[in-house]
Amino acid sequence: MAIKGGGFSRKSSASDKIPDSSLADIAFLLLIFFMVTTVFRTDKEQDIIWPAAEATEKIDEKRDDILNIWLTTAGEIFINDQPLTMDQVRPIVAPIYADSDRRLVVSIRSDREVPYRLINEMQDQLKAAGVVRVVFATELEQRMTRARR
Amino acid sequence: MAVLQKKSKVSDEIPSSSMADIAFLLLIFFLVTTVFPKDKGLAIVLPEPNADEVDINPTNLMFFLIQPGGTINVKRGESEQIQPITANQVEGVWRTDFAQNENLIAVVQTHPEAAYRHMIDVLDGLQSAGADKISLQIQEGG
Repeated sequence: MAIKGGGFSRKSSASDKIPDSSLADIAFLLLIFFMVTTVFRTDKEQDIIWPAAEATEKIDEKRDDILNIWLTTAGEIFINDQPLTMDQVRPIVAPIYADSDRRLVVSIRSDREVPYRLINEMQDQLKAAGVVRVVFATELEQRMTRARR
Repeated sequence: MAVLQKKSKVSDEIPSSSMADIAFLLLIFFLVTTVFPKDKGLAIVLPEPNADEVDINPTNLMFFLIQPGGTINVKRGESEQIQPITANQVEGVWRTDFAQNENLIAVVQTHPEAAYRHMIDVLDGLQSAGADKISLQIQEGG
């Protein structure tokens, strides 16, 4: 009767198992990363097409000090998910601005096709509310796409 | 002394095999709910509500007239001459004129019915060229 392996069975010191003891550590590390970076959204993102600009800069301000005003193609205005008319913007923004110690930055998040008339009215409302720092929210545009336009 | 040692079948280790599963479950939850903040754009500073009006020498003004179709007409100072340009040329035109006159102020006059993106294109060109004195206006009687 033939003996398997010619009778030489070598004792292997290497384990044949995939080491999985560090798996949980890796998962927890990733978990902590996402927990720290997660910011639960403050207001609902409206369905708009962003305008693009090459000179787009990051707003260097705390999230609490940024107020988003949404403007859709249908002419709707949203602040903190609340639909508003143009005349309501000033009375709503003014107290928020006062509470923020004049640090508030208003981010106008408008669809690219909105007629400028509305943007101008919005600026007038913000001026009346005393807001001076305004950002036209845009997407970063690459030079390549710009050349094609 | 009689030793009565019962052999216990219960393991004295905390089961850690499901730990990774729990961690991954939480991980997936945070992966799905994470929204990276999208706070970027073109920053401007609006004038104060009770700011005094300042008279500016018309020769220091450069008008960018944005028409409803997106055509951009450049008008310098008091001259009635109009130079049509494209959005890509704004940056170059501003750089050339600004090199000759450092007090130049850009006046972006947009037609009420012109799309917002045309104004953004011009503002983008001006900010790319480093212009800091920009006035945003609307065309009257448009």
